[in-house]
Amino acid sequence: MRVLLVDDEVEFVSTLAERLRFRGFDVDYAIEAAGALTLNEQKEYDLAVLDMKMPGISGLALKGLLAEKSPALKFIFLTGHGSEKDYLLGSRESAYYLVKPMSIDRLIAKMHETMGGKEHLGA
Amino acid sequence: MSDLFEPICASGLQFFGKVSASVSHELKNVLAVLNENAGLLEDLSLAAERGKPLMPEQLKRVSENFHKQIRRADDILKNMNRFAHSVDRFSAKVDLYELVSLISVLASRLAAMRNLTFVVTKPEEPVAFQSNPFLVENLVWFCLEYAMAREGGKGPVQLIPTKKSGKIALSVVGSAAFTEGYPEHFPGAAAPLAAVLGATLVAGDSADELVVYFPDRKNE
Repeated sequence: MRVLLVDDEVEFVSTLAERLRFRGFDVDYAIEAAGALTLNEQKEYDLAVLDMKMPGISGLALKGLLAEKSPALKFIFLTGHGSEKDYLLGSRESAYYLVKPMSIDRLIAKMHETMGGKEHLGA
Repeated sequence: MSDLFEPICASGLQFFGKVSASVSHELKNVLAVLNENAGLLEDLSLAAERGKPLMPEQLKRVSENFHKQIRRADDILKNMNRFAHSVDRFSAKVDLYELVSLISVLASRLAAMRNLTFVVTKPEEPVAFQSNPFLVENLVWFCLEYAMAREGGKGPVQLIPTKKSGKIALSVVGSAAFTEGYPEHFPGAAAPLAAVLGATLVAGDSADELVVYFPDRKNE
């Protein structure tokens, strides 16, 4: 499974990427929207895991930009937490709206569910 | 004063709520980083049990991440504690530089979401006066919210505690069009608060500056 992580917390997103790679996922990460859009131009991803609140752009707006370029891309929101409004919007616009911190096993389970329950380990 | 009580209470609660929500979000992020680093240690331990050698550099990096996040959480909580205690006294000596520095730090995450930073200029002489600390904080917060609404992505906003013609003042300096929202959109909801504090909000000499004048209430 090719996964794009986007979160402005660099220590969080880099460590999560390392742990997912350790488990066989093909993972890239970006810490801002421009980087995420560039990566998405260069490579075809199956799934994007996005923070809801990032400098200059919301996760929802970034999701719109990524989906426009890659209609088949699936989305999960992973956020510190937000308002009830964020939850309602995020749930409507993605397969899952998950709250940090969470166990990596649970995140992976949700990633597989989002991709239709298939095993997508490895490139 | 009685007509102002309700809007003052409402804006004060909203202010407290916004700061608390922002701080809790920051702490959630700290916990998320700690959680991933703890998880990484587990991963490395499992790998070591399977025969993969532990790399000291990896362990050092994880340890540094723990220390860094603990320092970050400590700073966040110290600031929150200072803010929470600002309601302790109805009237107290307010150091405007210290107060503006605290409020700008508390607003920094929200400002970062709008690609904006605040720069507080330290005055050569202390700019201090007697007032209600929490209400002054709330009025400064209104100024920062106005700046965030108008100046997102345009560059830093300068916050300059100063004395202008012997009066205590906070100069808020943005871009060339900063004062366009004055007075239609600002002070707006901050007007009752300014009235209670006896503060006045005026456009500065140039189009990039708003000035808040605070009275010294040491004789009241």
